Amino acid sequence: MADIGYISLLLALGASLYSALAFVIGVRKRYPELVASARNSLLCVGGLVSLAALALVYALLTHDFQIESVAYYTSRDLPLIYTLSAFWAGNAGSLLFWAWLLSLFAAIVAMQNRGRNRELLPYAGSIMMATEAFFLILMIFLTNPFQKLLSTPAEGSGLNPLLENVGMIFHPPALLAGYVGLTVPFAFAMAALLSGRLGDDWMRSIRRWALLAWLLLGLGNLLGAQWAYVELGWGGYWSWDPVENAGLMPWLVATAFLHSAVIQRRRGMLKVWNMVLIMLAFNLSIFGTFLTRSGILSSVHTFSESAMGPFFLGFMGVVLLGSLILIYYHRQQLKSENELDSFVSRESAFLLNNLLLVGITFAILVGTIFPAISEAVRGVKIAVGTPFFNKVTGPVFLALILLMGICPLIGWRRARMNDLIRSFIYPLGTATIVGVVLFLGGIREWYALVAFSLCSFVISAILFDWFRGVRARHRVRSDNYLKAFLGLLWGNKPRYGGYIVHIAILLIATGVVGSSFYKMEKEVALAPGEAMTIKNYTLIYEGKTEKVTQSKLVTTATLSVFNGVEFIGTMTPEKYFHRSYQQPVTEVALRSTLLEDLYVVLGGWTADGTTTFKVLVNPLVSWIWMGGGFLFLGGLIAFWPDKRERR
Amino acid sequence: MIRRKRFLIGGIVILLAVAYLGYRGFEGSATYYLTVSEVKEQGGRIAGENVRVNGRVAPGSVDWDAENNILRFVLVDEEKGLSVLYKGIVPDAFKADSNVVVEGGLESDGIFHADAILTRCPSKYAPEE
Repeated sequence: MADIGYISLLLALGASLYSALAFVIGVRKRYPELVASARNSLLCVGGLVSLAALALVYALLTHDFQIESVAYYTSRDLPLIYTLSAFWAGNAGSLLFWAWLLSLFAAIVAMQNRGRNRELLPYAGSIMMATEAFFLILMIFLTNPFQKLLSTPAEGSGLNPLLENVGMIFHPPALLAGYVGLTVPFAFAMAALLSGRLGDDWMRSIRRWALLAWLLLGLGNLLGAQWAYVELGWGGYWSWDPVENAGLMPWLVATAFLHSAVIQRRRGMLKVWNMVLIMLAFNLSIFGTFLTRSGILSSVHTFSESAMGPFFLGFMGVVLLGSLILIYYHRQQLKSENELDSFVSRESAFLLNNLLLVGITFAILVGTIFPAISEAVRGVKIAVGTPFFNKVTGPVFLALILLMGICPLIGWRRARMNDLIRSFIYPLGTATIVGVVLFLGGIREWYALVAFSLCSFVISAILFDWFRGVRARHRVRSDNYLKAFLGLLWGNKPRYGGYIVHIAILLIATGVVGSSFYKMEKEVALAPGEAMTIKNYTLIYEGKTEKVTQSKLVTTATLSVFNGVEFIGTMTPEKYFHRSYQQPVTEVALRSTLLEDLYVVLGGWTADGTTTFKVLVNPLVSWIWMGGGFLFLGGLIAFWPDKRERR
Repeated sequence: MIRRKRFLIGGIVILLAVAYLGYRGFEGSATYYLTVSEVKEQGGRIAGENVRVNGRVAPGSVDWDAENNILRFVLVDEEKGLSVLYKGIVPDAFKADSNVVVEGGLESDGIFHADAILTRCPSKYAPEE
């Protein structure tokens, strides 16, 4: 099986290189046959890489421990679903997953555009196949997913037990699919430049791809955050780790692009800027793939020591330089068709949103690679921590939320003063009331106060605008309100899907602000029968039990939990010791309500039974996960095909 | 053209504001990122400063006092070793012979008092060769 997989990869490399060249030559010299053959070759790559992927799946399922990536990440007692998730547990496997998805996406693009975009598709196909070839080269020459061990071990090492969590089944593929998805918009942007067809065709072709990639990245990040929260047991969900930043940065740039693309479609402006954004998003997704796979970027040395480092750096350099040269070369054709009419207009609000998103992405990038930069410049490694990221991004995120509220209230081109006053009065009123109520309710942290008021401003602005639309429809068509509401939503899916996404962001922001400013944390050592209190909760330690299962030793501590004097249940934080893996796994006990989470971690214990716990009260965390649900819903609505678009 | 210039100035002001935020944030959270040998060489010069140290947990050096929740171990690189003391919940991925980053400061007793132990994201672990 390993040989079939490896040979498929070799053949796929040949086919992808041929396809990349034949597309360009065929379209330049006007040989339709050559273009058709390149297209067939592209479809072949999809088949070959799928074959390789299936070979790895087969090897995983049959416990073929001769293959390194099977022996290192699985064992016979691993449940089936985690055996499959071991596909992307290792470096080589996740590169194969990348290449597989890209080959499938490329095939879908080729099918979708059958008989359409005759000028664009060959170039786009060529770019996608060149990227595919890059990943195939990495696998063939550097980290072969089908690498054989010299001797076949009787049993594999098993998956790291921390990865045996539902989140880990969905988080990596979602994030990787998001990274890969950004290749398609990039390929079409470059195709537009190379073919000189810089009209609206390419923008229309990629809108849904960009949206899909953005949605997958967003969900991938949230799933990762949730995994960290329930599995890692330090009480938080985001720590500005380089790996987390690597997933966030392309998402931020893709967000900027989704907004500025609207301006290009409606007003013919920001064309160069959009090209740059797509290129940045793609490059950041390549960077993210590298960072996720290579570990902490603690030093320039780790970058060059890792065999893949120079390859990735080179590829990113080629992408960056190549696309900048192309953009410069076509700058005349990329001139704006319009100028901004006024500061107070939706265009300038979108522009501001873009600047802020790209600004924080840059700040996060600098923070992430700062150890490497400072070492190269001054010879000392200096790292920046969480406070840096919080201080930079916090105020910018607040400004972005404010813009989110202002946007629906002001018109395109130039807003009229009277309209402005009429639209702003309700949202501003709501924000003021919420601010005052929270202040009287004891919220004195000015940042939280501002953030919560802003969120209520935005939500009422969105609802106000939505309500205006529904009322107009109700009056004109005499539909009832529900029908008018649904008709409006379905009639303009990108817009109202976008509003739902904005509501999702508000929920997430509220959760983040609440849990950052009002978190409580205590570490205690309790003997059985002793109690501790945190906020309004009292926890009584009842004792611990031990249980031996086939694969692990489970220690369970039982605590009775009281809210005030009312008994609300028991909580059982656990610790697992796996036989096959030299590492304990802490299972957090979590009691989640809309208002706050009670989060209990079992630390350790002594022979006499004294046990240490870490207990946290995290307010509003469940709002973040609710926001994730809204993000998915809104993204899906915006993504849903529109009859008008199909044509 | 004048309008364009005004927008350009607006953009620059915003980017400068972000840069300023970055500068302020940097002042508050920059830490030296050192290896064990570098800490040993610097010695007293970095006393009291917040630093991050990258190293390997020396096998057999881990001593955990469960009652007081205090963890002691020796962090090593190719050349030298550094005694580390940490109070708190030990991360799951912490184990002997694994790579960790500790954040904290070198105290006058020559022991590194860590406020945090950062382990690598478990998805990046390859098993020991």
